[in-house]
Amino acid sequence: MAALQRLILPAKLTDRLSTGWLNFAVLFLILLPLVIGAGLVIKSLPLLEQASIGTMLHSAEFSPQQGHFGFYAFIMASVWVTLLSFVLSAPVCLLAAIYLTQYSPAWLTQSMYFVIDVLAGIPSVVYGVWGVFVVVPLLANHVAPALGLTTTGYCLLSGAIVLAIMAVPYMLNMLMEVFKSVPIELKEASLSLGATYWETIKWVVLKKGLTGIIAALSLGISKALGETIAVLMVVGNVAKVPKNIFDAAYPLPALIANNYGDMMSVPLYDSALMFAALLLFAMILVFNSLTNFFLYRIKER
Amino acid sequence: MRIKSFLTIVLITTFFAGLVACGGKKGKNITISGAFALYPLGVKWTEQYKNKAPDLRFDVSAGGAGKGLTDVLAGTADIAMFSRQLTASEKQKNIWVFAVAKDAVLPTFSLKNPIADLIRKKGLTKDQLKEVYLSGKSDISWGKLLDTTYNQNVVVYTRSDAAGAADTWADYFGGKQENIKGTGIYGDPGLAEAVAKDANAVGFNNVAYAYDITTGKKRPGIDIIPIDQNGNRQIDPGEAFYENADSILQAISDGKYPSPPARDLYFITKGKPTNPDIINFLKWVLTDGQQYVKQAGYVPLTDAKIKEQLDKLN
Repeated sequence: MAALQRLILPAKLTDRLSTGWLNFAVLFLILLPLVIGAGLVIKSLPLLEQASIGTMLHSAEFSPQQGHFGFYAFIMASVWVTLLSFVLSAPVCLLAAIYLTQYSPAWLTQSMYFVIDVLAGIPSVVYGVWGVFVVVPLLANHVAPALGLTTTGYCLLSGAIVLAIMAVPYMLNMLMEVFKSVPIELKEASLSLGATYWETIKWVVLKKGLTGIIAALSLGISKALGETIAVLMVVGNVAKVPKNIFDAAYPLPALIANNYGDMMSVPLYDSALMFAALLLFAMILVFNSLTNFFLYRIKER
Repeated sequence: MRIKSFLTIVLITTFFAGLVACGGKKGKNITISGAFALYPLGVKWTEQYKNKAPDLRFDVSAGGAGKGLTDVLAGTADIAMFSRQLTASEKQKNIWVFAVAKDAVLPTFSLKNPIADLIRKKGLTKDQLKEVYLSGKSDISWGKLLDTTYNQNVVVYTRSDAAGAADTWADYFGGKQENIKGTGIYGDPGLAEAVAKDANAVGFNNVAYAYDITTGKKRPGIDIIPIDQNGNRQIDPGEAFYENADSILQAISDGKYPSPPARDLYFITKGKPTNPDIINFLKWVLTDGQQYVKQAGYVPLTDAKIKEQLDKLN
C-alpha cells in the first residue's frame, strides 16, 4: 500500500484527468441517443428508398415478402396498449402512494417498499408467463363471456393488464418519494389555517408534488411503451388495427422481437424492422419532449 | 491510486480479451449459429463428433435462422443452421446449402373439442385447411367442415415469432408465414398450450413438439388433424399414420406425409467449404451422424438425398 501511495500522480494532473474523464462521460451520454437514432435511420434507408413514409404510416397492410410495409396497425397497437395500461395503473398508484405516505402505519409503508422491490426485481418474462396462465384464461373464460363477447384471451386488454402491473413498482416508488419530500411545515401551515387533512393533501401535497407526479407517470408510460417480451406473450400479435379491447394487437416492440433473429438476413425485412425501431424511438422522443415541455411550463409559473 | 487501479483493470481486461480473440483465430474452432429448430440436433452432433475429433472445439448458438445466415456471410460463424425456405434475395448470396435432416409440421387441435372423434375419422382436406388457416374468416364452423351440427367457429392460432414451422406450414398452401391469419403465440410450447386450452382451436407444431419423443405419445391436451389427402372425406388406412412418433416419422420418411409441410433442415456455409475440418464434420453429419437424427425427433434423410449432399462436398 505504502509503495502504491508514493506513486500517486501530481495533483494537477489528477485533476485534469478526472475533469476530462467526467466531461467525456457526460458527452458520451448526451451523444448516445443521437448515435442510436442515426444508426436506426441508416439501417432503415433501404426501405425508405422503396416506400414513402406517408403510406407506411397510414397503411395497415404489413406483408414484407409481398412488398407491403404498413405500420399503422403496429403504431395504433403500441399507443392503445400503452394508454390502456396507463389508465389501469396510474389512478391506483396515485391513490396508493397518497395512502402509504400520508395515512398508513409505518410498518405497512415499510413492507410496501419490500413488495415494490420484489415486483421490480421479477424478470419481465415471468410477468409474461403469469399473464398466459392467469390473465388470458380469466379474460377468455370469465370476463368476456360475462360481457357477452368471445375472445381468445390473447388481446389488447391482457397486454395492458400485464403492463399495468409491471409499471406499478416504478410509478409507486417514485410517487412515494415525491410525496415524502413535501416539507412537513407546509402541511402544518395548511392544517393550522383550518383545512382538513384531505384538503391539505389535495391543495398542498398534490400541488407541491405536481412536477414529480408528472415525471413519475411519464416514467410509467415510457416503461409500458418499450416493454417487449411480457406483452408479446399475451397480446395476440395479429397485424390488424384492434377494434375493441378484446381484439388481438401487435405492438412495435413485439414486431421487432418476433422477427429480428429469423429475418435479419432478408435485406428489406431487416430494414423494415429497423424502421419499426426508429418509429418507436421517435414516439419516445416526442413523448418525452412533450412531458419536458409541460414540466418546464409548470416550473415557470 | 484510483487511476492506478482503473488502469490495472483496463490492462487485465485487454489481456484477457486478447487471449479470447487469439483462441478464436486458431482454425481448430468451428462456430455454428442459427435456427432454434436445429439447435438441439446441432448440439447432439457436435458432442458426438468430439469423440472422433477431440482437438476440435465447437461453438453452437441459437439466435434464429436469419442470424445464422448473417453470421456466416459476415464470417463470424462457419456454419449456419437454417430451418425455413430461402428467400429470393438470400438465394443470390454466395452460399452452399446442405440438407442435413428432415422435419415436418403437423396441424393440431384441442382434445377439449367435443367432436374430436369425428375430426380423427374424417380429417380435413388441403383446401379446407387452406381456408381455415389462410383466409382470415372468423365464421368457418366445425359443423360445415365436417358435415355435422356442431356450429362453433374454428379459432386459428399461429406462431408470433418468425419461425420455420409457420413458414413451412404456409408453404403447403403456397403462402408465407405472414399469410397465416390467427392469434400469434410465442414459441412451439406456447402454441401447443394455447391450442390445448381452447376447445375450438387449431394450430400447428413441429413433430418434435407435437409428440413426446422419449415416449412416442402425443403431447397431452392436443391431437393431430389428419390430412385427407385423396379428398374422400374419410381417413383411409393409408392416410392414418398419426398414432405415435414412430409411425409419423416413418410416413414422413416414406413421403406419405406431404412435403411441405415436411421440410428439409439445412446447414449453410459461405461459398464451398474448404476447411478440411468443416468438410469432414459435414460428411460425418450426413453419414454416421444420421443415427442421432431420430433420437432428437427429426427424420433422417433418404439415401438418395444423402448422396446428393455428399456429391456437393466432393
